[in-house]
Amino acid sequence: MFLIPSATTLAAVLLYPLGYAIYLSLFNYDLGAGIERFIGLGNYGALLSEARFWDSLQRTVGIVSAAVALEFSLGLLVAYGLYRLSFGVRTLNLLMFMPNIITPVVAALFLRWIFIGRWGLLSGILISLGIFPPDFLGDPGWARATVVLADAWQFTPFMILVLYAGLNTVDQSQIEAAAIDGAGAWTLLFRIMVPAIRPLILFVLAIRMMDAFRFFDQIYVLTAGGPGTATETITLYTYSLAFRLLQVGKASALGMLTLLIVAGAIATMIAVLYRREKGSF
Amino acid sequence: MRLRRRVEVPLFLLLCAFTAVNLTPVGWAVLTSFKHPVDAFAVPPKLIFTPTFEFHYEVWVEKAFWHYLINSVIISASTVVVSVSIGTMAAYGLSRLASRTSRGVLFGILSMRMFPHILLAIPFFVLAKWLGLINTYPAMILALIAINQPFTIWLMRSFFLDVPAEIYEAAEIDGCGSWQVFACVAVPLVRPGVWVTALFSLLLAYNEFLLALVLTGPATKTLPVALAEYGAEDINYWTLSAAAAVGIMLPILVFMMLLQRHLVRGLALGAVKG
Repeated sequence: MFLIPSATTLAAVLLYPLGYAIYLSLFNYDLGAGIERFIGLGNYGALLSEARFWDSLQRTVGIVSAAVALEFSLGLLVAYGLYRLSFGVRTLNLLMFMPNIITPVVAALFLRWIFIGRWGLLSGILISLGIFPPDFLGDPGWARATVVLADAWQFTPFMILVLYAGLNTVDQSQIEAAAIDGAGAWTLLFRIMVPAIRPLILFVLAIRMMDAFRFFDQIYVLTAGGPGTATETITLYTYSLAFRLLQVGKASALGMLTLLIVAGAIATMIAVLYRREKGSF
Repeated sequence: MRLRRRVEVPLFLLLCAFTAVNLTPVGWAVLTSFKHPVDAFAVPPKLIFTPTFEFHYEVWVEKAFWHYLINSVIISASTVVVSVSIGTMAAYGLSRLASRTSRGVLFGILSMRMFPHILLAIPFFVLAKWLGLINTYPAMILALIAINQPFTIWLMRSFFLDVPAEIYEAAEIDGCGSWQVFACVAVPLVRPGVWVTALFSLLLAYNEFLLALVLTGPATKTLPVALAEYGAEDINYWTLSAAAAVGIMLPILVFMMLLQRHLVRGLALGAVKG
């Protein structure tokens, strides 16, 4: 009985639109030209044989894996640093956490003002040091790196917070025993603590990958997918299909493909998790 | 196990340095928002200048950002009221079901959290256009409830699980109807949890960009959309958009102070990015 209001709402505002998206994806539906014609799986076929789709998918996977890898390694190191510290942890934690909670659009602009050519803080500093700065947002390679850094800037704090909380749950007696046996700081971290929180690590990596895969706000503001299509992720491609080219049917098909890819990746991860960590969930 | 000072002090300084580098973009934006364009565009970058409030005033009052603030407040507050009330009921219902039954439902809900928002934005847009709801509050509020609801249910459920079932059973033995148990026993017990959930939902709604970009129009534009239009277009408006961005950030700092004890629980469930 208590589930009814929520279930009705979810059905109306989430499941029905999703069903409608599947329906749309089967049509050649062009809002601009006013075409609406059933083409079955035609949109999917067109996408799968299209270079722009595969390029954007490859780019997304590249950006997501670079960003998540950077966030995780940095996050683990900082979390461990905080764990070993006996004072000032609360304040540091709070200050470090700030970038994560800022509105993504605001965060992206903050970073844009650091990286933008000529007047950005970074270019300014490099120029005053007599170094000619690259165009961080205008050069394809640098633009991709900047997008990765921007994601890391906003989401490393999330990793730090969750991993720090995780490290604090590790059994103290195990750590002390290892320390008495003469284990150094690194041995403690990688041999004792990381294995102990492995389910948490996998969980947080899964969440982060899922979110990074569909993330839109930052790249839209930082580079809008440019220069050219150098930073056009699959989400940005879907956006421009739907809301610039108004090919709603094809965009829905692309959205569905994205969902399938993410779902497939997560299902694989859960399967691996269950096999390795039987009973820990 | 504690470290000796000799190791701990450098570690502390290292972490401070990391934090400082991390906060540089924020500090730089705050400085820029108080600069005249002459100082903002200076190379090398200027740290010392005569500050001005001119641009804060101009962007919020003359460029009508106060109007977008009102839009943001109306939209986020309505979302939170609806989403948290129905979400609390659902979470209570689920927490009282047998774990085998509720597990299926919960995983279903979790998988909804996985939907790429862009996939929802398209049907929302087509449907809203068809119903004539583009550029109205209800369309945006409904869309936000949709992406907010799974998170609200999971977070509220985690608070309900902290309550021992015996309390409900005792109330039922005393003759309370199921609605009474919920309203008079369960909700008062998790009241702090309701506040935390409401604040996280508010943050999520306030930060949302993609759906607002698609569903709102000139009359209902939220702050992130207005700012993106302003700030990404032309570097000439730099000081103005910096003033707007800093203003938008301020309420979030208040959120952070209020939520600091609950950050882990809320964020692990995906508060900020839905």
